[in-house]
Amino acid sequence: MGGAASAKQRSNFIIHLILIAGAVIMVLPFIWMILTSFKTTTEATQIPIKIFPAEPSFRAYADAIKQSSFLHYYANTLMAAFMKTVFPVIFSAMAAFAFARIRFPGSGLCFFLIISVMMVPNPVFYTPQYLMMSNLGLVNTVTALWIASLVSPFATFLLRQFFLGISKELEEAAVLDGCNPFQIFRHIMLPLVSSALVAVVIIQLLWSWNELQWPLIINSSPEKLTLSAGLATLVSMFGTDYPVLMAGAFMAVVPMLVLFFIFQRRFIEGVAFSASKG
Amino acid sequence: MIMRKKSATTAVGALLAASLALTGCGGNSNDGNDANGGASSPEASKAAGGDSQKSVTISYTIWDKNQQPAMEAIADAFTKQNPNIKVKVDVIPWGDYWTKMSAAAPAGTLPDVFWMHGGQFIKYASGQFLEPITDKVQAGEIDLNNYAANLGSIYTLDGQNYGIPKDFDTIGLAYNKELFDQAGIPYPDDTWDYAKLAEVAKQLSQPDKGIYGFGAKLDTQAGYWNDILANGGHIISDDMTKSGYDEPATIEALQARYQMILDKASPTHQQMTDTDAVEMFKSGKLAMIFDGSWDNGNLASSEIIQGKYDWAPLPKGKVKRGNIINGLGNVMSAKGKHKEESWQFLKFLGSKEAADITAQMGAAIPAFNGTQDAWVKSKPELNLQVFIDQAADATPYPSGSKSYPVWFAKESEIMSQAWGGAISVEEGAKKVAEMMNQAIADAK
Amino acid sequence: MNSKSRYAWAYMMIAPTLIGTLVFWFYPAVYSIYLGFLKSENFGLVNHWVGWANYERLFKDAEFWQNLRNTMLYVVLFVPTTIVLSTFFAVLLNAKIKGRSVYRVIYFLPQVTMAAAAAMVWVIIFAQDYGLLNSVLGTHVAWISDKRFAMYALVAVGVWGAIGFNMLLILAGLQGIPRPLYEAAELDGAVGFRKFRSITLPLLTPTLFFTSIVLVIGATQIFDSIYLIIGKTNVALPSVRSLVYAYYQNSFIYYDQNYGAAIVNVLLLINLILTGFQFLMQKKWVVYD
Repeated sequence: MGGAASAKQRSNFIIHLILIAGAVIMVLPFIWMILTSFKTTTEATQIPIKIFPAEPSFRAYADAIKQSSFLHYYANTLMAAFMKTVFPVIFSAMAAFAFARIRFPGSGLCFFLIISVMMVPNPVFYTPQYLMMSNLGLVNTVTALWIASLVSPFATFLLRQFFLGISKELEEAAVLDGCNPFQIFRHIMLPLVSSALVAVVIIQLLWSWNELQWPLIINSSPEKLTLSAGLATLVSMFGTDYPVLMAGAFMAVVPMLVLFFIFQRRFIEGVAFSASKG
Repeated sequence: MIMRKKSATTAVGALLAASLALTGCGGNSNDGNDANGGASSPEASKAAGGDSQKSVTISYTIWDKNQQPAMEAIADAFTKQNPNIKVKVDVIPWGDYWTKMSAAAPAGTLPDVFWMHGGQFIKYASGQFLEPITDKVQAGEIDLNNYAANLGSIYTLDGQNYGIPKDFDTIGLAYNKELFDQAGIPYPDDTWDYAKLAEVAKQLSQPDKGIYGFGAKLDTQAGYWNDILANGGHIISDDMTKSGYDEPATIEALQARYQMILDKASPTHQQMTDTDAVEMFKSGKLAMIFDGSWDNGNLASSEIIQGKYDWAPLPKGKVKRGNIINGLGNVMSAKGKHKEESWQFLKFLGSKEAADITAQMGAAIPAFNGTQDAWVKSKPELNLQVFIDQAADATPYPSGSKSYPVWFAKESEIMSQAWGGAISVEEGAKKVAEMMNQAIADAK
Repeated sequence: MNSKSRYAWAYMMIAPTLIGTLVFWFYPAVYSIYLGFLKSENFGLVNHWVGWANYERLFKDAEFWQNLRNTMLYVVLFVPTTIVLSTFFAVLLNAKIKGRSVYRVIYFLPQVTMAAAAAMVWVIIFAQDYGLLNSVLGTHVAWISDKRFAMYALVAVGVWGAIGFNMLLILAGLQGIPRPLYEAAELDGAVGFRKFRSITLPLLTPTLFFTSIVLVIGATQIFDSIYLIIGKTNVALPSVRSLVYAYYQNSFIYYDQNYGAAIVNVLLLINLILTGFQFLMQKKWVVYD
């Protein structure tokens, strides 16, 4: 018994050791980002490397803020994230419900048309979407950042899986009560898939937050860029002034980090939850 | 349910409005109207602000962040004279500038007024993305003879004028006096040739300390293009029909520069990618570097080399003293919403007043005749006169061909293979020549 | 409620997604095919039909084949590494140990970092002279500009960013495996790795299948890290340049959007083949109960 317990302890110790090693690798880049952002340019490229700045300097933050439009980046990123999260969830939930729970002519074809888009690599869309935005007069506008993403085939696909898993009885009772399909959707089905909705919100949010290539292509004025495209601009502007780049990077990751620490359970459960029906 | 939906719509509307307000669309941001500070109802301010209804904001896009303060000062001076026209100065860094402009041009979203480069000009002018100013020139609103050398002619296509010269630039040899003093070597002067440069660079290098004599960077205008010209080679033939990269004199010049890396007289391409050569010079790790007159403000901003660096002319080559002269222009979009106001600003940018601001703030050598001296004197401790003196014999930037934007974008990628040692310099140069000739053929 | 009105409700409910998808996604995808047959001038404002010319040029272009090889190599290195490591950490975290939730949060951190921001830090971690990695290892390797290492550096960055998310997916799959199965196996004397091989792995295959499909589609589109970590004048660029990077370069830097369209159209075809192949192979290894 005692032997078994100590063997268990030993194996737990090894597991912790491995997990901690992994955790260090996960966190190290952040720490390095923050440390570097407070160094002087010379300190950042010193040989041998210097781990801590001799005297923390805010010069890099001042430069990054002065030379770029961070306030605009924040506002635009937030706006795009909001539009690309809220609307796809609403629209996809409605469509997913209809595809999962209502038999109607053409449902197979319509569903196929929607999810076929999921197989297409994103860059295939960029040039045609750019030409479309150009025709609509939307190039270099905040609207162009989100308008195509008001709908999400992926979210529709995922939510349909969840709606399929709900038992029929609940629905039948509601039909007897004279509810129309939208009422059934709104009052009975939607609450049942609320966890799935959270999962979709989180996945859309992360995806929207990370997107780099599209904002880079479609918008040019500094005040129309998102945080990620703004960072790419910062790289072009400051070249190898690493403290400034790191200050910019840190300012760009902070909002999502804060959001993540507040809602960490939601984030983690949301992602895990999406897997259960993927 | 309906309530919820409604509030969601309101929220979206509010956010939209907020974002519009933040991005300052529409341009009637008449916030400085203190008179109606008390009467804050929207109707009241609308009525009171009747005069400022016409107030517009135009955008002015540039690519050099070091010149932003000067450009903003010019914009302020302009707004003082034209209170109803505000100018927003945006910087899109050089590395992204033409990518962004080429996406904006066909979409009709070019900035109202923006910097133009000789190499890119034809593409934009022939695509009719730029507003011709020929009639204004003919009407005498602006006199293109006011500008130095031939700068006025750069932004002319098929008899139409499109741009007003902003500045011109030449290349100089920046050196770190402290590193020369420590080694007891006299400073560079106009007697230097390329052999001397290589020799001294070797003497000044202390690779173990991370200090090098020269930054033999992968660069065109402020780099090996000058070497090529000095050595009697060409970048492109004079009639713009054939690349000069495969000429023996060109290859020899490129090899000589690359040899400095092999001799450890210069950091490697890798080191100069990790830390930009100009940054190295600014942190006192490079004794010498070629750099453009436009970049003096950048060098001067470094506390480390403040008062410790100066400028000399480029060294002589086998054939001549090579130097590239280029002139930027200000142009306006053909699709701008406020063309009249943009023209007023463009005209102001071409004025002596704007040139004086440019000069005094040390931003760039203004194109306006007689204002160059003020630029030289903006930093009296530095020998900025070398840039002006070299202008006389300098070779114009190899712009003027339709294919330039394509081959220029591809050139650095091929040459980086040579500079990084993946292929020989000769191979790289020949590949560039082949690529350029193809691009020239494609553009017909 | 009659079926006609049910239909009406259904059409109304799918309308936003259907119309939005057709207009903003389906039509552009079809239009991209069309673009591949054109040659444009003046920033795309003037177009000529050139048939298969773009593709003929593409298939003759040695650089294209190199880019294709690079992309496939990235997929082959990135996807299995991510799956193995994610499964490994998921299994560790599935054990009853203290601080599980803390580990999950930490491992998820790279996922909430903006990819662009993370890429910028990796540049100074990989730097040759003053990079953190070389200092820690006591080496002097040019991780991102030596063509022998650059691809692995990109894979490492990709895996670092992907483990947290995929680990959670796999963890969810693990927690779906009924306990009694393990208890039965333990009675049979199965321990450690054997237990993992005979029970965990087979029952995890549906999750692994889903994860691998998503990872493959994502990996074929690698762009951000090449754009931000490798950069335009890096000597190792030809050894890591992906199809999507080449698309971006040709379309937006070299003013040839049609050649760019041809590149991504080929990528589309490759993705269809890869996904189809995965679905075919699915029968061979995925266990559905």
